[in-house]
Amino acid sequence: MKKIGERVAERAFFLSALASSLITVAILVFMVFMGLPLMREGGFYQLLVKPWAPYQGAFGIYPMIVGTACISLLGLAVAFPLSLGCSFLITTIAPKPVSRVFRRLIELMTGIPTVIYGFVGIFLLVPFVRELFQDGSGMCVLTAALVLGIMITPTMTLFFCDSFARIPRSYLDAADALGASPVQKLLYVILPSARKGLLNGVILALGRAVGDTLVALMLAGNSVRVPESVLEPARTLTAHIALVIAADYESPEFRSIFSCGVVLYLFTLVVTFLARYLSFAENKKA
Amino acid sequence: MSQSQTMTEAIKIRVENLFFSYRNRLILKDVNVNFAENAITALTGPSGVGKSTFLMTLNRLWENVSDADMSGAVEIKLQGRFRDVYAPAMPVTELRKMVAMVFQAPNPLPMSIHKNIAFPLKLAGERNRKLIEHKVEHALRMANLWDEVKDRLNDDARSLSGGQQQRLCIARALTLEPEVLLLDEPTSSLDQASMAAIEELLVGLKDRLTILLVSHYLEQVSRISDHIVTFDDSTVVS
Amino acid sequence: MKPRTLEIFSIVFAWIAGLILVSAVLVLLGYLFIKGYTSLNLSLIFGDTPPLRALLFRTRVFDGLFPAIAGTLVLVILSIVLAIPIGISTGIYLAEYAGSRIKRALDAFFDVLSGIPSIVIGLFGFSFAVFLHKQYSNRIGPCLLISSIALSLLVLPYIIRTTQAALEGIPSNIRMTALALGATRLQNVFLVLIPRSLSGIMSGIILAIGRCAEDTAVIMLTGAVASAGVPRSVFAQFEALPFYIYYISSQYSDPEELMRGYGASIILLLLCALLFAVAYGIRKGLSHFVFYRP
Repeated sequence: MKKIGERVAERAFFLSALASSLITVAILVFMVFMGLPLMREGGFYQLLVKPWAPYQGAFGIYPMIVGTACISLLGLAVAFPLSLGCSFLITTIAPKPVSRVFRRLIELMTGIPTVIYGFVGIFLLVPFVRELFQDGSGMCVLTAALVLGIMITPTMTLFFCDSFARIPRSYLDAADALGASPVQKLLYVILPSARKGLLNGVILALGRAVGDTLVALMLAGNSVRVPESVLEPARTLTAHIALVIAADYESPEFRSIFSCGVVLYLFTLVVTFLARYLSFAENKKA
Repeated sequence: MSQSQTMTEAIKIRVENLFFSYRNRLILKDVNVNFAENAITALTGPSGVGKSTFLMTLNRLWENVSDADMSGAVEIKLQGRFRDVYAPAMPVTELRKMVAMVFQAPNPLPMSIHKNIAFPLKLAGERNRKLIEHKVEHALRMANLWDEVKDRLNDDARSLSGGQQQRLCIARALTLEPEVLLLDEPTSSLDQASMAAIEELLVGLKDRLTILLVSHYLEQVSRISDHIVTFDDSTVVS
Repeated sequence: MKPRTLEIFSIVFAWIAGLILVSAVLVLLGYLFIKGYTSLNLSLIFGDTPPLRALLFRTRVFDGLFPAIAGTLVLVILSIVLAIPIGISTGIYLAEYAGSRIKRALDAFFDVLSGIPSIVIGLFGFSFAVFLHKQYSNRIGPCLLISSIALSLLVLPYIIRTTQAALEGIPSNIRMTALALGATRLQNVFLVLIPRSLSGIMSGIILAIGRCAEDTAVIMLTGAVASAGVPRSVFAQFEALPFYIYYISSQYSDPEELMRGYGASIILLLLCALLFAVAYGIRKGLSHFVFYRP
């Protein structure tokens, strides 16, 4: 026989859980609802592939999709080798005291606000890129990707280190007893076994890269044309939302940002379920 | 069942004044013992007394564990000379290629049978494919496993039965032709038939190696061992 | 590739990666501090206004960070107050009451929620404000309240996850003790389990605080503006530190403003560092207390 208090509390807990999960859906619903007029008129698919030229009545978000893809993928290309190397350093290659300090430093780095990366990027990296390449204003895909890459490296490094730590002890003992040096153990036993974990880390990092707003907003130049090279400016889906928010509520321009939101949300769904599948598969193996 | 070495047998391993502690608890106290060459010596004693730990002092595997500390001397006759196992001049990776170990639970690496056996060669930097294949076959034959797996060398090693996996681990340990083989209760997770197979295997190997075997099975000990070293109260009593 | 070459290459590669990352961080922090340390004085925060009058809200500060700092403070407090009850309740539900199928489903929802880009959450907040504006009252628009609600959504997953993990990490014998003595489930939760999970839950809250303090994307869509003074009501627009930094970076009109930007960045960094240290201290301190480690 449960007391009233018990039942109320349980009900309250359950309702909280329900509310939290429903919000996740509500977010998508709101965006679809707000963006519907434009999506219906233009056709959602059309919006994805058409360019953005509001004065000509074109509200396609294709250039932003390309911008997001370029900056995120390039950022990932910068971050992956750095993260892999740093994770090697922390788990195996650096002497214990160095590795401890280094890991602490990386943990601290994960706390640095995005806006500060953007701020320093504007005043330090943008002029540098401008001088180095003598081409453009310095605000381009490359600058944004470099800063983005540095920004997501700490999280990815820690994720990789955790993946390495989950290798079954029996493999490590076997390798040790056979006379493997620490580096050999890392390269020939740990790394192959951690493949799924590494992939998981990359996918999660990609999700973060795509979802970033400030670095792209502050450093990539925000042009509405499809970038032809890494030295050209670009606009991401996220930056687009931030820039157009000031437009008139009812205009189709404005409604286009909800298409961006929907695309981003759907991308998040794909990334999340892919990552869940991978970690489920990895756990099943162990 | 002799309980001491005869004076005419050569000595392979010398241990003097060995103390071992873990987290400030003394596990091994003043161990002094010699092991004969080309013989099977069984290490017996109550559970938890430190026999497995003792084995690990011979190939320095305990050094991966933090809070562990050891003092004393361990000398093993390798390549004809007695070498101090803990000397700075003795790289631990080289030591383990000459003093091999097989664990209680078989621990095949997550790769094919062939790759498992070839793994030590890969560590040693061997690239000659013919030589590798030859050595893999040789090791598998020494472990009495060749006939059973010769047609499926590319199968995942974990698909083998427990007894076969353990023989795989022994074969893998033999690839680089070590001089000493340490076995920590190698048959305790196996069935009777597999146990017998491994015992037969070890007897066949003793001409070429010195074998130390931790075992709880007294009949096994009496069946195959030439010498017995008994541990009790953190030290060797006979 | 010869095994030895690969091994040597890996070692070199790892050190280079480490060096690059460390230099990047040092350059970032160094640049900020070197350029900005001269700005660190009271006038950074209070401008020309006498500090006492500003603190008593008598006079508005126009060229100092005070309104932004106050705005961030109020924002964080409001968001956390909104997020904590729902987050902890949900965490308790997941850890103690949910069946495994529901748990997996909810788990998926929260994974998605934690992955949603912050700008999309901001967009949701904005849509919600528009919705309220049209349906209820013309006076409601993007404001402190809406920002807080949106931020609390952003950090909800942190609190849920850490609460759930902390509760699930309690060994089963401790879990059973009170129950065996006749306590109800609820009593067990509040008298035994939660107190034991406190350090984990606190870590989650500190994490959430940090996230609220540093976020820019959500607030820029839901009510943060460049100049609004100290927040007067929850329905008003407000200033916030990270937004100020963003705004200054593109709109600074004189070197003084830029210096304030540097100062603001330093203050924000110090705030995050402080939160980090507190979280670390809590983890170490509380676990020391609970487990009596020598």
